[in-house]
Amino acid sequence: MSESLPTTQPGPEQTGPAMSFDFKARSTGISGDTVLAFVTRASALSVVLMIAALLIVLTTAAIPAVRTFGLKFLTGTEWRSNTLEQPRRDANNKLMFDADGEQIVDTIEPVFGALPVIWGTACTSVIALAFAIPLSFGTALFLIRVAPAVLVGPVSFMVEFLAAIPSIAYGIWGLFVFGPFMQKYLEPWLNGLFGSVPGLGFMHFNGATTGRDMLCGGLLLGIMIIPIITAISRDVLTGVPRAQVEGTTALGATWWQSSKEMLKFSRSGLFGAVMLGLARAAGETMAITMVIGNNNQISPSPFAPAQSMASLLANEFAEASGDLQRSALIEVALILLLMSLVFNVVARKLVVGKDSRSAAAH
Amino acid sequence: MSAIPEKIEFTVGPALTLHDKIDRFKSNFMLGLCIAFAASVLFLLLLVVSFLVYQGATSLSWDFFTKPPSGDPHAPGGMLHAIVGTCTLISMASVIGIPVGMLAGVYLSEYDVESKLAGPVRFVSDVLAGVPSIVVGILGYELLVRPIGNYNAWAGALALAFIMIPIVARTTEEMLRLVPQSYREASIALGANKAKTILQVVIPSATGSIVTGIMLAIARIAGETAPLIFTTLGSRLIPFYADPKSGFELSHWRDLNQPFPSLTKQVYDYATGPYHEQKNVAMAGILTLIVLIFLVNISIRLVARRK
Repeated sequence: MSESLPTTQPGPEQTGPAMSFDFKARSTGISGDTVLAFVTRASALSVVLMIAALLIVLTTAAIPAVRTFGLKFLTGTEWRSNTLEQPRRDANNKLMFDADGEQIVDTIEPVFGALPVIWGTACTSVIALAFAIPLSFGTALFLIRVAPAVLVGPVSFMVEFLAAIPSIAYGIWGLFVFGPFMQKYLEPWLNGLFGSVPGLGFMHFNGATTGRDMLCGGLLLGIMIIPIITAISRDVLTGVPRAQVEGTTALGATWWQSSKEMLKFSRSGLFGAVMLGLARAAGETMAITMVIGNNNQISPSPFAPAQSMASLLANEFAEASGDLQRSALIEVALILLLMSLVFNVVARKLVVGKDSRSAAAH
Repeated sequence: MSAIPEKIEFTVGPALTLHDKIDRFKSNFMLGLCIAFAASVLFLLLLVVSFLVYQGATSLSWDFFTKPPSGDPHAPGGMLHAIVGTCTLISMASVIGIPVGMLAGVYLSEYDVESKLAGPVRFVSDVLAGVPSIVVGILGYELLVRPIGNYNAWAGALALAFIMIPIVARTTEEMLRLVPQSYREASIALGANKAKTILQVVIPSATGSIVTGIMLAIARIAGETAPLIFTTLGSRLIPFYADPKSGFELSHWRDLNQPFPSLTKQVYDYATGPYHEQKNVAMAGILTLIVLIFLVNISIRLVARRK
């Protein structure tokens, strides 16, 4: 027999079936074979239909906003859902009156520009990755190359438990513990640092730091994506051939030098792991809604309250006034969906083979 | 006899250069850094979990599980409505999610070669598992809330099933692939057809693992909040519950067409509200969730180790 040990799944080339025998129904009429084949194929098709439905429904619902704003949606910096009434002023900044002696008032339609939320998502994701990558790679290297065998099981269980904690639990911890901690201890010091160091002045926040800002959101997201990046990096680094590592040691490499070679060898898989962490960070809602400050503005300071795409949806969708706002919000959701699809597809291509399934499992 | 030296000195190779010493120092430093990083990750976990467990444990009471919310924000009562709500939503989601997911997994592992469907399906189910859950909530809103006219439980169940199906499909496929080929061959040798082989040989031999995969999916959707925010909206009424005298009545199935409570949404509402008594009840709710998820994870590990 070709198969002597059960494997998790065939390697990348041989996506053969588990059963390679050709079955033909022996009785006339509809047999159990046909029924099961049909039903399973229908279920598999429905999975494909699910993503098609997701894309189609969101696109159709976002069309009114696309038609109204076009590309300005991605570059506009103002998100206003109410109609403004502004008295018109002339060149000398004096109020204008019409023939009847009444003030001329301009009604400015609601405008939705997504740049603030794109900025918020990008910044928090970058902060999250900057925080999570060293910690995750370090933990992965620890689990593979340093930890005694007795520690590997418990430590990896605890890291996976970190992944299983619901995001709202992280949000609550961020709201009641992490945010106040940052507000009282870390942020005033950091803000002062930015104020005094010459090149970093643009990151200084003029005002009292609140602990509800991009830095807090980014760090909380970082804590949440550590388990994902750790788990996939571990899988990827385990796939480095022993000959490679032993070769570097034979050439006289120190521990760190051979670990560096391991990291370099699997850099595409590690990049895939980072992409998956990024996808999770970008789409994370509940944790970040509680600590990001919910202010739709662009600011270069990490201590400024901001808004991410997911938190915008969480905050405004249930109370969206009017079709245009709902359509604009769905367009933001569509952008978020496409972003996460792109990240997931790229990650899946990079983390090849056996790892790609277990990678997506996180 | 010549004197035997007390101490024999060996010199091995050339002496260490400065470059070597720097490399060694760097290596030891990075080694220490890796250990420190791993320790900080565990420390962070400890920080988060201990806060949640401590806060939850001090607010947990029997009332939490048996009483509905009272109107008084300073004595918020219990979360019976939320527990009933989450159980109902999980059951509804599982009614669609488990069969469709399992059958898709069976397809991917047993019916691969004849069609070109398997590759895309596997790809899609992996990608779908990474979709942000709030986007799934919006899909549920567009599909089932707008036509019906108000927030309801069906949309929430649909959103949860959406999240559940890829997870169940993937784990089912992986577990079925672990079943040795010899089982299938033996079944065929005994004259069974493919359907019988799958249903009576392959799946039963992987039951334990498939069940743990399903439990993982259930633990995952039990903790989801974002899809429920604008599909079920949340409520403070116990579903299917008439009054203390008659208790639970399924004739109140129309409650499914109304805003529906859930543990996660209720916790979110209480935690972001202004009353700290409500916040304590929210912590108890979080503790319940965490204990549930911890038990599922532990039992998965135990089952895996026994195999």
